Amino acid sequence: MSAPASRSDNVVVRIVDLHKYFGELEVLKGVSLDVHQGEVLTMLGSSGSGKTTLLRCINLLEQPTSGEIHVGGSPMGFHIDARGRRRPARGAQLNAQRAEIGMVFQQFNLWPHMTALQNIIEAPMRVRGWSRAKAEDIALRLLQKINLMDKRDQYPARLSGGQQQRVAIARALAMQPKVMLFDEPTSSLDPELVGEVLAVMRALADDGTTMIVITHEIGFARDVSDRVVFLHNGLIEEEGAPDDVIVNPKSERCRRFFAGITR
Amino acid sequence: MDLFWQSALWRHREAFWDGLVVTMQVTVIGYIGAILLGFALCMMSMYVRPLRWPSRFFIEFFRATPIYVQLLWVNYVWPKVIGWPNGFFEAGCTALAVQSAGYLAETFRAGIEGISRGQIEAAQAQGMSGPLIMRRIVLPQVVHTMAPSFMNQLLVVIKSSTLVSVIAVPDLMYQALRLTSIWFEPIEILSCTALIYLVIVSALSWAFKVYTDRIRAKYGLTRG
Amino acid sequence: MIEKFSELAKDLDPAVFWEYRAVLIPGLLYNFYVFFLTVGVAVGLGLFVAILRLSHHGVLRAVGGLYAEVCRNTPEYIALIWIYYVPPLLIGLAIGRNISFSPLLAAVIALGLSSSGYFTETFRAGILAVPKGHVEAARALGMSRLATMQRIVLPQAIRHMLPEAMNQFVSLFKGTTLVSLIAIPDLMYEVSLVTMDTDRALPLYTGAALIYFVLILAMTTLVRKVTDRMRKSPRMTG
Repeated sequence: MSAPASRSDNVVVRIVDLHKYFGELEVLKGVSLDVHQGEVLTMLGSSGSGKTTLLRCINLLEQPTSGEIHVGGSPMGFHIDARGRRRPARGAQLNAQRAEIGMVFQQFNLWPHMTALQNIIEAPMRVRGWSRAKAEDIALRLLQKINLMDKRDQYPARLSGGQQQRVAIARALAMQPKVMLFDEPTSSLDPELVGEVLAVMRALADDGTTMIVITHEIGFARDVSDRVVFLHNGLIEEEGAPDDVIVNPKSERCRRFFAGITR
Repeated sequence: MDLFWQSALWRHREAFWDGLVVTMQVTVIGYIGAILLGFALCMMSMYVRPLRWPSRFFIEFFRATPIYVQLLWVNYVWPKVIGWPNGFFEAGCTALAVQSAGYLAETFRAGIEGISRGQIEAAQAQGMSGPLIMRRIVLPQVVHTMAPSFMNQLLVVIKSSTLVSVIAVPDLMYQALRLTSIWFEPIEILSCTALIYLVIVSALSWAFKVYTDRIRAKYGLTRG
Repeated sequence: MIEKFSELAKDLDPAVFWEYRAVLIPGLLYNFYVFFLTVGVAVGLGLFVAILRLSHHGVLRAVGGLYAEVCRNTPEYIALIWIYYVPPLLIGLAIGRNISFSPLLAAVIALGLSSSGYFTETFRAGILAVPKGHVEAARALGMSRLATMQRIVLPQAIRHMLPEAMNQFVSLFKGTTLVSLIAIPDLMYEVSLVTMDTDRALPLYTGAALIYFVLILAMTTLVRKVTDRMRKSPRMTG
């Protein structure tokens, strides 16, 4: 049961021929990808396939060796100067670009010395410069949506894994980014907590959020994504609608991957 | 017996008070100096390439040498080499600062490195700048994990401050020794002095414990 | 500027150390002498008080706790002076004669007491770190209290407390430099005498600092190597 395809032709994330070397090892061997507004893209693949590296290149937590990444029309890590030439982005620009991208980590990475609410309003206030009133308003609404209003003044140490991850999602959303990146958001959670996080992600997808998700939750990939990408050895092996890739994969490797995943 | 001691404390109260004041001055100045020097050494050893080895050397040197040795060294050798400190009081403060700077430099380093990388990445992913991350994410947490070490060093400085009497700084210890040699009441005078130090250090130690327990309860876990 | 540094360089001549080695080396050896005596006292007292603090009786625990607090919170210098003067006078008053402590006796008692406050905490923590389950298993198998302590608790406890105890030994050694303040002829005492004799404060005090630096650095490095080896050893894990 796919979410209604709310794709427009507006490309939010464009990746062109991305290469990434870690020393001698080439982890990304020329990946190209377009992600459209409102699209939910799931990346699958075995570990070492490069999917996490690819995701982290989008917001430049990893520096690509070559290739281009454009988010919301502007190139990441570069800016175009007055004469139309490319110049590497300086700190402030990089930060501004990152503000447009939301990231949710496998390890949640909430800041332990701040309450849930404080975690969420920190960047909107400090990076976007919004007033406390505005930031809190947004934050409280998000907390309401993820059903954690009563935990807003709790410190992360008092929250369960699932609750922490939901707060982390709210923290990323509070910046009102153009695209949300998810790096295996449920892999660190106890099985009974996975559902609450996936539910939030489903709700986001229904709202038309542009999402790029790395996950092992095949059910989510089938039900919620608009498109699935299968990475192997630093290249996109297969790409297409969820049913095509997951149920009827064309490539042998892809088939073997899904055969190996227990439902 | 109590009245005996009380009267000794009372009779020499001016000397005790003067000494205590100097002890507090030397302690506070030395401690603040230690924090500043320790922080500077830490930053140099972590972030300033060319100064890395010299600063690491000094950190190890300050940690390894006994305070008494440092005191005499600072007092007699430094003025000849770098023309400073001038005078015994300055030398005393400097020696105390030097003693603790090494430990505090290590404390700073451990604290900063102890912040999990993921939290910094989460802050970067939200577009926070380096200084902002240091100010809002790293330092506040680092303060909590470093606090016990800082508090301990304050106690160390107070206890070590007794040695500045050796280079004729008129602190509490100096006054006690002076009074003893003049008045021949060593039992009362020395016991009062020992008691004063004991009470001060114990009171602070207790206060620190209360603070640490409170923080632990607030954040729900042992931090760091 | 240059002349000043070359003057200093000349002054920094370590030869003066060699000249006076006849007094300086024994001085350093005296530090070690005091160190070993003090270690004996500190460890013995520390162990005794640690056992007190682990006892079933609240009073004993409280006394042990108080002892540890007093020993740790009193500055060593005042402890040294106090022990040197007060107990002999008190005892003298009690028995009607004038007695005095030798500086060595006073130093060993004072530094021993002071350090025992730290050792007792280390010992207590080491023993407490042994999981209760191990002790229960031993007793359930019929092992006596003594055998349990000997074969199960102490071996593990010692492994836990060794790193911290070794650090405290090093601290204790650093503390022995204070004994020069009650005229015990240790290294710093001899150095001070020589400076009065020769007025070569610069190389002497710097040299003394370097000697201690090298010694202590060697000790702490040794401690760290031993600690790392212990941590990696499979017998420590779990």
